[in-house]
Amino acid sequence: MSSLVFYLLTVAIFFCIYCIYGWGLNLQFGLTGILDFTYITFVAIGAYFAGVAALQPGNGGIGGQYILGWHLPFPIPPIIGGIAAAVLAILVGYVGLKRLRSDYLAIVTVSVGQIVWTLIGNITPLFNGWDGLAGVPQPFNSVFQLDFNHYQWVFLVICVLFAALGFLIIERLTHSPFGRVLRAIREDEDVAAALGKNVFRYKMMAFVIGSIYAGVGGALTIAYIGAFNPSGFTTMETFIIWAAMLVGGSGNNRGMILGAFLVPVLFNEGTRFLPSPPGNPLLAESIRGMAIGLLLIFAARYRPQGILPERKTVFRLDGLPQGGEAGGDRLVPQ
Amino acid sequence: MAIVSFPSSILKVTNLAKSFGGVKAINDVSFIVREGTVTGLIGPNGAGKSSVVNAISGFTRVDRGVVELAGHDITNQAPHRIAARGLIRSFQIARELQKLTVLENMMVAPFQQLGESPWRALISRRAVMREEREHLAAAVDWLQMFNLFPLRDEYAGNLSGGQKKLLELARALMAKPKVVLLDEPMAGVNPTLAKTLQGYISRLRDQGVTFLLIEHNLSVVEAICDHVVVLAEGAVLAEGQMNELRETEEVISAYLGG
Ligand SMILES: Nc1ncnc2c1ncn2[C@@H]1O[C@H](COP(=O)(O)OP(=O)(O)OP(=O)(O)O)[C@@H](O)[C@H]1O
Ligand SMILES: [Mg+2]
Repeated sequence: MSSLVFYLLTVAIFFCIYCIYGWGLNLQFGLTGILDFTYITFVAIGAYFAGVAALQPGNGGIGGQYILGWHLPFPIPPIIGGIAAAVLAILVGYVGLKRLRSDYLAIVTVSVGQIVWTLIGNITPLFNGWDGLAGVPQPFNSVFQLDFNHYQWVFLVICVLFAALGFLIIERLTHSPFGRVLRAIREDEDVAAALGKNVFRYKMMAFVIGSIYAGVGGALTIAYIGAFNPSGFTTMETFIIWAAMLVGGSGNNRGMILGAFLVPVLFNEGTRFLPSPPGNPLLAESIRGMAIGLLLIFAARYRPQGILPERKTVFRLDGLPQGGEAGGDRLVPQ
Repeated sequence: MAIVSFPSSILKVTNLAKSFGGVKAINDVSFIVREGTVTGLIGPNGAGKSSVVNAISGFTRVDRGVVELAGHDITNQAPHRIAARGLIRSFQIARELQKLTVLENMMVAPFQQLGESPWRALISRRAVMREEREHLAAAVDWLQMFNLFPLRDEYAGNLSGGQKKLLELARALMAKPKVVLLDEPMAGVNPTLAKTLQGYISRLRDQGVTFLLIEHNLSVVEAICDHVVVLAEGAVLAEGQMNELRETEEVISAYLGG
């Protein structure tokens, strides 16, 4: 297999994973208006827990030290990753979502991100500290016995399946009465409460479901790369996912697909091919950040709703039981 | 002032008090709203009318006093719990869900919809769709009554001020409330439509819905309120029928003028 095909497969796999990330964030922010500025932390928790669920018990030696080491077969690790992210979301939600003001959660998430990052880096027995996990087994590879190159195809199929399922679920939720309540909360929490909706509970559900997407995406990431460490979940990563959502169109899951293509793939991956001047290895990285920043500014200026904005819900009314006209007999609709 | 507790009182407010810093928005307010009546709540600007509505509906915590709904103590309960008991309030300044269409605003209102559970939304799609059709039919009826049907697919944020007030009222009624607290529902609504709304409120009352109505237009109050409570400076000044109150000295000097 040529290295180009290999590269394109890698990009396709990350494209799928970014879609999954994006849909989760979109449920949280695009639909519900929750400001989660540490989305990547939930990705990381999912990745770590999926990793230690798939790894052999740690021996403290070359493989490093870490908890669990359950050596569970795929697809159990991603499930565990999703659950772990959900548990963290519940904890964070209890602290941050009780208050009415959305900026309160924003601050809480930023703090949680810092705390988790520092703890995971410094408490080596958890996930092998700053070195992180490595040698996480690839799903089904022992079954197929494929070489590394051909295995790419298998993993792409796995990712496409996860993404397809993720899309189906998120679309159903978005266009259901549940999604409608979330959007009502986004528009005006008081109105939602005045209509009997338990705002805290709904925000918590959106936060948790979104975090499950993060956790599962993280689990796929570690299953693919086989390794994960604190450099994999920096603020920049959250920024990229946010940028993808805002550029693609918050509140629109298809827009999110577009955003996942434009931002992480085209801008973040594409700029890797820019010639890097010798002696300045950090320049390319900085240019990437700037390019995404510029894209965001342009989007905010010319397309504030994103390229594919939230679609208007238009109900089909044909075949409805006919009601009275204004002043008609049926005053209380039954 | 003696409060006679009618057996049919559905909403009972006793010795309510609420201060904001130094401002005593509600001083000591007691009154009852009897089931199946339209009770007016009138008084000068700043009298505390909206504050009373906020206190009853759980949007502000009261410092003192008791609010009972159908015999249950609902004092300082969370707004969504109070709403769940069948008490729906509207806001003085219409609060439409801007980026939801008019029809969607209506569709949010029904209580405990099946599809509001994410799990049910995923696995019971058929049943959810069926329920949606029922709610849609009701929503369409209401919108037709309020002359909002042609605007059903418009974002609520794009409505005119008066249309937003109408939507606010229609949405409250869509929730099939037992008790409705309306904070100046006709403010900004054109006279013809306001007349029609009065007719609706009276007819809903005849069907057993209870209203507490804040309104500055006294001819409206006189036309549809069975009983009127006059607030001034956070306290009940007088209560009775509107035509009696017009003759009452305190009410004239505090509110009516002349
Ligand atoms: N959240 C608040 N913070 C501070 N003061 C408040 C608050 N809400 C109400 N007040 C004060 O309480 C008093 C009563 O206000 P309220 O809104 O209840 O009056 P109102 O009777 O509804 O008047 P209007 O007819 O103008 O609507 C006013 O003096 C107001 O300034
Ligand atoms: Mg008021």
